[in-house]
Amino acid sequence: MAKLEKALVAEGEVGSAVSEGSAIAPRRKAGPWGEATRHIGLSVGSILALIFAWWILSLIFPPTLIPKPWETFSEVISIVTTGDFFLEMGATLRRVLVGFGIAMVVSIPLGIIMGTLRSFESFFEPPVILGLTMPGLIWAVLMIMFFGLTETSAYAAVAVTIFPMLTISIWQGTKSIDKDLIDMSRAFHASPWSKVVDVILPQLVSHILAAIRYGLGLAWKVVVVVEMFGFSNGVGYQVVRGFNTFSMKAVLAWAITFLVVMIVIEFGFIGWLERIVTRWRPKIVAWSR
Amino acid sequence: MAYVRVEKAVKYFPREDGTDMLVLDTVSFETKEYGITCLLGPSGCGKSTLLNVISGLEPLERGRTEVVSNHQEAEKEEPRLGYVFQDPRLLNWKHVEDNLTFALRGMGIPKTEWEERVHKYLSLVGLVEFRKQYPLYLSGGMRQRVGLARGLVIEPEVLLMDEPYSKLDHLTARNLREDTLEICARLKQTALLVTHDVEEAAYMGDRIVILSPRPAHITDIFDNPLPPLERDMDDSRFIQFKKKLLQSVLKLIKKAEV
Repeated sequence: MAKLEKALVAEGEVGSAVSEGSAIAPRRKAGPWGEATRHIGLSVGSILALIFAWWILSLIFPPTLIPKPWETFSEVISIVTTGDFFLEMGATLRRVLVGFGIAMVVSIPLGIIMGTLRSFESFFEPPVILGLTMPGLIWAVLMIMFFGLTETSAYAAVAVTIFPMLTISIWQGTKSIDKDLIDMSRAFHASPWSKVVDVILPQLVSHILAAIRYGLGLAWKVVVVVEMFGFSNGVGYQVVRGFNTFSMKAVLAWAITFLVVMIVIEFGFIGWLERIVTRWRPKIVAWSR
Repeated sequence: MAYVRVEKAVKYFPREDGTDMLVLDTVSFETKEYGITCLLGPSGCGKSTLLNVISGLEPLERGRTEVVSNHQEAEKEEPRLGYVFQDPRLLNWKHVEDNLTFALRGMGIPKTEWEERVHKYLSLVGLVEFRKQYPLYLSGGMRQRVGLARGLVIEPEVLLMDEPYSKLDHLTARNLREDTLEICARLKQTALLVTHDVEEAAYMGDRIVILSPRPAHITDIFDNPLPPLERDMDDSRFIQFKKKLLQSVLKLIKKAEV
């Protein structure tokens, strides 16, 4: 590593930054807690602020409309510790993930083909754009009418709803990739497989990660609607049960459990995935001096 | 061992209005064996197009290009061409060494040779310690060296270089030119270098082919009187040769402006 730095200084990239740092003011430090702690602190702070606002509202409105935050949280705890929480959550998550997986498996190849071959683009553009405007609720109704109250209709409704969004994101991403790299891969006779895996897909990583995030959010919204239509398990079903007994506390508590699960997926799994697949990119430092 | 022969190459580019623009006007020349041939001409004259035609990335309307190789006649396989671009054009998400194996895989080199070749050519460009590094953590000059190693690692009959120094700063470019010259001499590599820089052509080229402004045709071909490793930019013989090239190019530009 020392050698690398020496080489960089020799070619004048690091050299100026080093001398500037020592000649003018010392660089601003990240504060006594360090960067990571500050980041976590701000995230927790924003959640606490939300809970505080909720508490204020609960003082104004009757508890049947807005229950107290801590009463709702104790309801969350009782949901998680008693009953079949993991079965209900598991059923919903399975529907989200299977539907999402189906959409992904179709969208990635289709998006790449649309982005690289003109005639496929012309052919698939209208249905994809039309699909984007179709509300998830209508897909849910259509799929249940078609497949009945089966798991298949849940998977299909999720997949069909998020498929246009995923495809558009990957299609547009493919159109913006570096054409010089494609020429390079042609000059070295790369196989079609190698062009996709080594040259095109890595340039789509940011688009695919963004698509995963949007896609999961959208999938959860659709699956709850499907479950409300008469499924006998899942988070959507539990929310309907809360609604039927007019228990605002139960509705909110179930919504919160799902939010927590999604946050864990977002920050745990997707965040981890993002760090793995973007290791090659130096960190962007835009605003600090 | 190998050389490139271009015979009466004619190439058009379609214009927006549907007419054709003549880019290459019956271009004919041969490169040297065992050495660097420079294609020298003003910017936009069609030098890079000529390189793309030779590499097969673009077709010709008339005429032909051919890589003549003793080796190739024996085995009847397609000639191998290495490419070094103006920008390094590396796969930034792959380690330095994987950028080289990407080329080896594409050219169908057996896997058993990869390790040895990667080591050999990264050593030649002086980057063997950086084989596990990602390109974006290297300087511009080092990235261009990786590009050179990638062009060489497939052991091409001919190495095609498209203005590989024009985006580097003066000192880095000078250093890399010197190393490229030495490496090509040591490997007895046939190479074709496109440039618009007269001094670079005089320094790098064993033969210099001068192209006119568009439509490109060949106006002069010079052979360098100095052997590759005896070219000193301050030597009077070098300066004399450079002047000769410069006059030939200036004559063209003046004619084009009149």
